[in-house]
Amino acid sequence: MTAVTNIQKTDAELGLAQQFDDTRANLPGNAWVNTLREDAIRTFAKLGLPHRRVEAWKYTDLRSMLKVANTPAGSELHTVSDADLYQALGADLHGLGAHHIVFVDGVYDEENSFIIGDEAGLVHMTSLAETLDNPPEWFKGNFNKVNPRDNDHVVALNTAFMRDGAVLEIVKDAKLKRPVHLIFISSSKSAEAITERHFIHVEEGASATILESYVHLRAPDTQRNSVTELSIGKGAKVNHIKFQHEGAQASHLSNWMISIGESANYRGFQFTIGAKVSRNTINVNFDGSHSEADISGVAMLWDEQHSDTTMDIVHGVPNTLSRELFKTVLDDRGRAVFQGKLVVKPDAQKTDAKQMAHGMLLSETAEFDAKPELEIYADDVVCGHGATSGQLDEDMMFYMRQRGMSEETVQTLLILAFVGEAFELVEDEDIRAAFTAMAQAWLGGKSDE
Amino acid sequence: MLKIENLHATVGGSKILNGISLEIPNGEVHAIMGPNGSGKSTLSYVLAGRDGYEVTQGTATLNGTNLLDLEVDERAAAGVFLAFQYPHEIPGVATFIFLRHALNSVRKARGQEELTTPDFMRLVKGKAAELGVKDEMLKRPLNVGFSGGEKKRMEILQMAILEPSLCILDETDSGLDIDALKTVSEGVNALRSKDRSMLVITHYQRLLDYIVPDKVHVLSKGKIRHSGGKELALELEKSGYAEFVDEDAA
Ligand SMILES: Nc1ncnc2c1ncn2[C@@H]1O[C@H](COP(=O)(O)OP(=O)(O)OP(=O)(O)O)[C@@H](O)[C@H]1O
Ligand SMILES: [Mg+2]
Repeated sequence: MTAVTNIQKTDAELGLAQQFDDTRANLPGNAWVNTLREDAIRTFAKLGLPHRRVEAWKYTDLRSMLKVANTPAGSELHTVSDADLYQALGADLHGLGAHHIVFVDGVYDEENSFIIGDEAGLVHMTSLAETLDNPPEWFKGNFNKVNPRDNDHVVALNTAFMRDGAVLEIVKDAKLKRPVHLIFISSSKSAEAITERHFIHVEEGASATILESYVHLRAPDTQRNSVTELSIGKGAKVNHIKFQHEGAQASHLSNWMISIGESANYRGFQFTIGAKVSRNTINVNFDGSHSEADISGVAMLWDEQHSDTTMDIVHGVPNTLSRELFKTVLDDRGRAVFQGKLVVKPDAQKTDAKQMAHGMLLSETAEFDAKPELEIYADDVVCGHGATSGQLDEDMMFYMRQRGMSEETVQTLLILAFVGEAFELVEDEDIRAAFTAMAQAWLGGKSDE
Repeated sequence: MLKIENLHATVGGSKILNGISLEIPNGEVHAIMGPNGSGKSTLSYVLAGRDGYEVTQGTATLNGTNLLDLEVDERAAAGVFLAFQYPHEIPGVATFIFLRHALNSVRKARGQEELTTPDFMRLVKGKAAELGVKDEMLKRPLNVGFSGGEKKRMEILQMAILEPSLCILDETDSGLDIDALKTVSEGVNALRSKDRSMLVITHYQRLLDYIVPDKVHVLSKGKIRHSGGKELALELEKSGYAEFVDEDAA
């Protein structure tokens, strides 16, 4: 990739620079944090918003998609009730019996947050804002360093503007029965920019299900930038799930930066139905041998929604396994992008990596672009990838309709079967059932707002 | 009663059916035999309403209902059932779920109430047992990884559950072993009734020893060239189609 000289700055880029100057004094953090922010805004000033001539953003020209920079959220605090959360999440996700950690328009909401007593000692949660004001040494040593990528436009923007988020620790050998549900709800009536940053450490031998839900009450046009740094200790097991149902005009920029320890098992899943523009970057690095990652997802898009999932999976040590299965259903002028990069470094013998992405197009104007990328520098490895894109099978539809089922019933069954193969990979039965029900509802009405 | 008159149809621009006339009164079973490519499956698809099979002339009614006006699922509700020559695999849809949706759909269209889950299970398991379909198979996605014979049995199971008034069996005997042929034939015979007509497409006289037809028709080049009683099948087995196929040319 060659460096691209940035021509004229866009309104959004100019706006972001201005906003940094305007809000920095109100952002949390001590001098150490300030330096991080300054470095980050300098990086961003150099890079600007990513555009189609940047290889990783080829299909998602954020520079032209993000016309204006919304005002940063957080100057004014909003409150929501538990009933609001119920409304935004739906009964199923609200009723998981999970620990709730709630953020309203990007700010920690202590009122609505709770760690249920029976597991209180196993989950330690502090807000990022509090941590940044007084960062302990261990935090300074690790923050912004979990599987980082140089020159990431969006992460730089996040570091510059981060206001709040979850600093979460699952203690050694804790076997959590209840999911930890991080709930991000946007409720503002005005268009805001929310910048959240999460730093999660699952210690050695622990196991946990961590669900990130991005939902909206009002706020159809939120601009969100969310980064999750997740480090997984030796022998730990993590189910890491994201549900994204932002407002219809929202943009959702998400980065997962994951580092997997020896003999650990990571299962990531992302379910996308919201936002006008979403970019889901997932960077995974294997730090120890005999570890496994299964990262999958479902996206269901219609209208003019655009969703981009870009993964970068690096096998740097021997004997690791990765699997990906992404399913996307597209209607109207919906567009999905899947870019899956697999890197197998010279030392990573016995790597077993497989990647699959399937798009199902329900209209002639929908589009699915898949770009796999393999960089393999070791010889004793098994790697594979594949991508397909197609419509519902006519012969299958005829067969089923011959049995009396209406066209609508047949479509619903076949599409649910299509996404169901990915939902199967969600281990938590209640979350899987909730997602399946939402997929069904999507097919029934694609209702939003 | 199925009543077909002077039916012409094209597929992908080619004329495949060239004036078929056929009446199957309720209670009767008719067999159609004929060389490969003569239009047997095409006739079954045309009756079922498959896309791309265009009727250019003629009529087809089932108990007075004009089939050609109806959508595929409406024809199914009206009583048309086609046991496919090559049943499709439906990945991700468990057989039970499939059967349930199919049955509820036709019951709804016929103005009947949906069955309760226990009643549905009893019905399906009972019929499955009669046809030698194991319960375990009902949990698997329909036809996925089923053997050729298992798929055919599953077609007949669906037929038994949906209670159609016209059963079209397209080479249901192909791929069946001797024992399966017997079981499946028994299943079909059990469905013979005074208010149901059946059209059995086959290449082999042997099937007709089990499912004894009232009439046998020879189809060639998209037209019925000859009709007779069940003994016609034996004749064909011995002498082939040549005699009947030539009739047209003569
Ligand atoms: N899409 C199509 N376009 C053109 N011709 C077609 C198409 N589909 C089928 N045909 C032709 O129609 C003719 C009749 O086919 P059909 O499948 O009905 O034969 P059949 O009698 O069932 O044969 P078999 O005994 O082999 O099952 C064949 O010549 C076939 O090639
Ligand atoms: Mg045929």
